[in-house]
Amino acid sequence: MSETNLDKVMIGLEIHAYLDTKSKLFCSCSTSDETAEPNSLCCNICLGHPGSKPVLNEKAVELAVKIGLALNCTINKDFFFSRKTYFYPDMSMNYQITQYEVPVAEKGFVILSSGKKVRIKRAHIEWDPAALVHPNGMGKSQYVLIDYNRSGFPLVEIVTQPDLESPREAREFLNLLENILGYLNVLKPNTTMKSDCNISIHGGNRAEIKNVSGFAAAEKALTYELARQKKEVDSGKIIEQHTRAFNADTGVTTMLRKKETEDDYGYIFDPDLVKVSLEEQYISKIKKELPELPEAKSKRYQVEYKLPEFDAVVLCGNFGLTKLFEEMVKQSADSIISARLLTRELLAVLNHDSLQLGDVKVSAGALVELVDLIKIGKVSDKNAKQSIINYVSGDKTMPVGYLKKNDLLISSDINLEEIVSKVVAENQKAVADYKSGNEKSLNFLAGLVMRQTKGTAAPQKVQEMLRQKLS
Amino acid sequence: MKKEETVKFFVEQARNNFSLVEENLHKIIEEVKETQKKELNYFETFDEEFVLKQLEELKEKSKSKDFVKGKLFGVPVSVKDAICVKGLESKAGSKILEGYVPLFDATVIESVKREGAIILGKTTQDEFGFGTFSTNTEKIPLNPFDNSRSCGGSSGGGSGFAAYTKNYHLSIGESTGGSIACPASFCGVNGFTPTYGLVSRYGLIDYANSLDKIGSIARNFEDSALLLEVISGNDVKDSTNLGHKFSVGEEPMKRIGVIKELIDSSDPEVKKIIQDKIVELKKFFVVEEVSLPLNFKYALSVYYIIATCEASTNLAKLCGLRYGVQGSVEGKHFDDYFSEIRSEEFSAESKRRIILGTFARMSGYRDAYYLKAMRVRTKLINEFNSAFKKFDILISPTMPVVSPRFDEIEKLTPLQNYSMDLCTIPVNLAGLPHVNINAGFSRGLPVGLMAIAPHLKEQRLYSFAKVVE
Repeated sequence: MSETNLDKVMIGLEIHAYLDTKSKLFCSCSTSDETAEPNSLCCNICLGHPGSKPVLNEKAVELAVKIGLALNCTINKDFFFSRKTYFYPDMSMNYQITQYEVPVAEKGFVILSSGKKVRIKRAHIEWDPAALVHPNGMGKSQYVLIDYNRSGFPLVEIVTQPDLESPREAREFLNLLENILGYLNVLKPNTTMKSDCNISIHGGNRAEIKNVSGFAAAEKALTYELARQKKEVDSGKIIEQHTRAFNADTGVTTMLRKKETEDDYGYIFDPDLVKVSLEEQYISKIKKELPELPEAKSKRYQVEYKLPEFDAVVLCGNFGLTKLFEEMVKQSADSIISARLLTRELLAVLNHDSLQLGDVKVSAGALVELVDLIKIGKVSDKNAKQSIINYVSGDKTMPVGYLKKNDLLISSDINLEEIVSKVVAENQKAVADYKSGNEKSLNFLAGLVMRQTKGTAAPQKVQEMLRQKLS
Repeated sequence: MKKEETVKFFVEQARNNFSLVEENLHKIIEEVKETQKKELNYFETFDEEFVLKQLEELKEKSKSKDFVKGKLFGVPVSVKDAICVKGLESKAGSKILEGYVPLFDATVIESVKREGAIILGKTTQDEFGFGTFSTNTEKIPLNPFDNSRSCGGSSGGGSGFAAYTKNYHLSIGESTGGSIACPASFCGVNGFTPTYGLVSRYGLIDYANSLDKIGSIARNFEDSALLLEVISGNDVKDSTNLGHKFSVGEEPMKRIGVIKELIDSSDPEVKKIIQDKIVELKKFFVVEEVSLPLNFKYALSVYYIIATCEASTNLAKLCGLRYGVQGSVEGKHFDDYFSEIRSEEFSAESKRRIILGTFARMSGYRDAYYLKAMRVRTKLINEFNSAFKKFDILISPTMPVVSPRFDEIEKLTPLQNYSMDLCTIPVNLAGLPHVNINAGFSRGLPVGLMAIAPHLKEQRLYSFAKVVE
């Protein structure tokens, strides 16, 4: 073990995401009806009835190839499916059809905003087991119910190398990954990505935290586990390789099983399925049709829309925002103001309330109206912000409607020049203080002007006018 | 073989005279009942009502002018228990699948029904196909030539009844390592195992998916070829299907290779009959010896590794949860419940194969066993391919012995038992089409000759059988 490894935290993730196909991975049952009665969307194939045979859904392969390419992976032209055998009531055949020796994609990477490269080990396709329903809550039920509607949903599993060095960085990676998958439009809507989080410290053995749902939870689980492992090591204990569970309510990880009792999956090639052989042309066609990815888009925005680098990077870090941005620009909104509004105001509200863009209804048209008013100086930044907050998490009135209703638009009949003169005339002490070098006095005067305009004036404009007046 | 004995002849007559269908079916129903009374155990499931209902439906349909009377119009077809028939208990000879009534027909069942066949019932077999003598099941079929002897396995019931019946009848069998050729040989009937992937496996309760082949059993090669023609062909529901169709037809050939190692290791009585047959064959063909040392040495081991690895995963799903036998789950952890059901319901042979297969694919062993066996399999196929550069077809005895008595079978160790498949395993492992043709009798017991053709060259076997039979 090298010296440098001793303090190192090593985190590797295995992320499961649902692919957006119309039908299941190996049969034609629908994947799209979330309101269906339990066990109504299944057939002899996804129920694993004796005699039934799987047939591969080609759309899932296409989506997985897309993901592989976007993650800079090598696509394996020939790949197989394997049987991973373990007994569990949610597995209709007591084996999972997955990929083992040769996955669809391997050896890729992504680059975090810090410039750090995170290596992707592999991405493979597999089918999801059924859903277990615990009628009175996990651990409390005397029995479970099984809903096979989900049995056979196509999943992609993306596995990283242990390149992540902190829980925070793991979360950043997950956000980036979600963003890339969002750009590709390959994820089944309204589904959550789940991760198995592997973590080790000081070059020791790793613990695997199974099945953590969501990104905040992944960070939380890793943070807890990091502290726990440090404590163990500090008290002289050696960490053995093992698997843990994470309780999202308590934020605590608990021991599931030790390495010796790990399942031996006894992989074999699935002899019901044949080798998949992809043509070079097929791969290059998908490659050509790949959408513009965050990095390229951010560069383009800086050139095409003259956005500051920071705004462009933040904007492109959220695929939904870029869609909104492009729609706004299409409706001839000012690009720089639009980007600023989206990245500063809208994103701030969403982050504050822990919302995703998809959770709220935001219309490009409503934002364009607001941008237009900001551009001609009719709305102060403060009021623009307030109107967005109200739009997203208040009574949802359109921003401009809100501003009008509350009389927050700068009306053209307000003579700012006159108010400024009046305030200067009436506050000679502050004027004198400013002239003798006290910058704070300017803020005081600006505040008075703002009050007189009911906050509708643009603060920067006011400051600028005051400076001129007093110079 | 007389033309009048063929199913083709029967169908041609029956198309214009439905009473022939009724007469044949009623006679055959009587025969089935007779075999049941004598406890010959050819049928696992036989439901007279189910059969008669099909007769009525066919009668009704054939009244319509637009109805096309197919190639199997009115022909009773018996089906190996492992092949799913909608509405008929299908359990692959196992206890654990008792009560499993498939919601769908296997593709081969759809195919024969489309041609007007009547499903007669499910024939007995070794549990999941695990056996050479059809003794690994509750209802053991008895050889029609000598009831103290085995029908062979695992498609024993179908072959036994094909030999027993005096009426028009076809039987759908399935071969993983010789389960069509072996019982056909012991019962003196024709068994036609096609190229792997020629016939859809959709609806087959799997033994070892990369080896399983559905094929035909009948009294003569004309009949088995006809059935194969009907059941072969493209099926999108089976990913391993080749999308190829066999049509009854001839492909002339003249060079025959006799597999030396298999002749040498057969019993003298079998050897003699096969050698007599070879003398006859020399009148029509160029016959020479060929050696397949790799197959002789490794095929059996490779087969039992791959087949048990695949089988052990196939059987995992059988745990008393969704279909088949169910037990009381009250107060039990699922692991304990699964173990309980599986311990009680699987036979010793199934357990043996599950343990063998699970072992050979465990981490630490899968490289040495499973993966190595997969690589050797390719070499074995190549050895056949080399032989086919010199010969149009290869021949050997189908079984190294005539059908043994049940008391002899009981004394066999598992290894001796597995070794009985010496002749049939190499061809099955290579997925090559092969046919069993009766070559004569020794002590009144049938001796089978096996002919093997390259992949998708079933027509050569048809031509060959035509000369031999």
